[in-house]
Amino acid sequence: MKTHHAAWMAIAIAVVSLSGAPSAQNTTKAKPAPRAANGKPDLSGIWIATGALRLMAGEAEVAAARQSDIDEGRPAPRTEPPPYKPEAEKQRQYYLDRRGIDDPMARCLISGVPRISFRPLPFQIIQMPDQAVFLYETHHAFRVIPTDGRPHPEDVEPSYLGDSVARWDGDTLVVDVTNFNTKTWLIGVGTVHSESLRVTERYTRDSYNTIRYQVTMDDPEVFTKPWNAEEIFRLRPGERIREYECIENNEDLQRIEKLLQNESVFKRPSN
Amino acid sequence: MTLMRTLLCSVYRSGFTLLLGLLLGTAALSAHHSFAAQYDADKPITLSGTVVRIEWTNPHFHFYVDVKDDKGAVTEWAFEGYPPNMLVRQGWKKDVSLKPGMAVTVQGWRARVEPHLIAAREVTFADGSKLTAGPPAGTGGQ
Repeated sequence: MKTHHAAWMAIAIAVVSLSGAPSAQNTTKAKPAPRAANGKPDLSGIWIATGALRLMAGEAEVAAARQSDIDEGRPAPRTEPPPYKPEAEKQRQYYLDRRGIDDPMARCLISGVPRISFRPLPFQIIQMPDQAVFLYETHHAFRVIPTDGRPHPEDVEPSYLGDSVARWDGDTLVVDVTNFNTKTWLIGVGTVHSESLRVTERYTRDSYNTIRYQVTMDDPEVFTKPWNAEEIFRLRPGERIREYECIENNEDLQRIEKLLQNESVFKRPSN
Repeated sequence: MTLMRTLLCSVYRSGFTLLLGLLLGTAALSAHHSFAAQYDADKPITLSGTVVRIEWTNPHFHFYVDVKDDKGAVTEWAFEGYPPNMLVRQGWKKDVSLKPGMAVTVQGWRARVEPHLIAAREVTFADGSKLTAGPPAGTGGQ
């Protein structure tokens, strides 16, 4: 009877393993996220995206971070290809063919949302009971985001970072961003959008060291369906936001002018 | 390694590849502009010479090095790298790490137009120590 019982237990464990449910044998328990006085997860801290980790710490730390994701059962971030309508895709290809020379950032214009989240420099979140302040080293930009569920104000006009309001959905901070101008790219080269863009960001501090960032870009004028992207932000203890000044000695402007006089120098060879 | 772990690794790697491909293809590694428009990743170069001057400025620092060719003719080459905020994170110190008169070897990639402009990646100093000076070659737009 005892042997019989052990056999059933073994089968049950095998089924659980095969079904993909995380088990204590496969995953390390991650240190849990801290909580604020109001019981919500506290997002406060200095955070960096993968690109920042690569530049600031090197490939070995990127590999170590990815290994800890695997050990702790954290799914890899996935970013879909942008689902552009034909006309918008044509625009994107035009910018790609020009190897990004038209990048608004090269002219020191502020990156929009979500591109600023993916930039290779740290940002800081300071969470308070009814609002959260996001301080980006990139462009020295900031966002002050009400988190009490209030609607967007009525006196907004189109801007680079748009207007952000947030609410808590369980342990996830959901930020609704609207009122964008059209002078930014969404994530990469040529990722254009219209003023109809609505961005929904979801910040989930799924462990002490990580925030899962899920962003949906909805713009019926350029996309056939909403575009989803993900990233894992990693806590960077001991780091601080430093100064970022862009226009001081931006030699790109003169160099770009020179390059533009002869497109064949920088354009991708046509197939 | 259990099946679960193998699967998770595999899913993780495919997601990583997708993301890496997307971001590399969008010049995410450049500090603030498109690397690929200005510089040619297919033209790596390593030069040795004497530091002439340094511009510790944003959004990129520049430094200039006199390089002597085989016939003894000296040409001043310009190097572009990280902004000061990133240089400090790589261990640089203003007016200490790099000074006029220092002998250096610099590895990087040549510009598409300017004949003597380079995107600097790494500087090797006379004592053999090295400092990262700029991002890896991006392929922005490709």
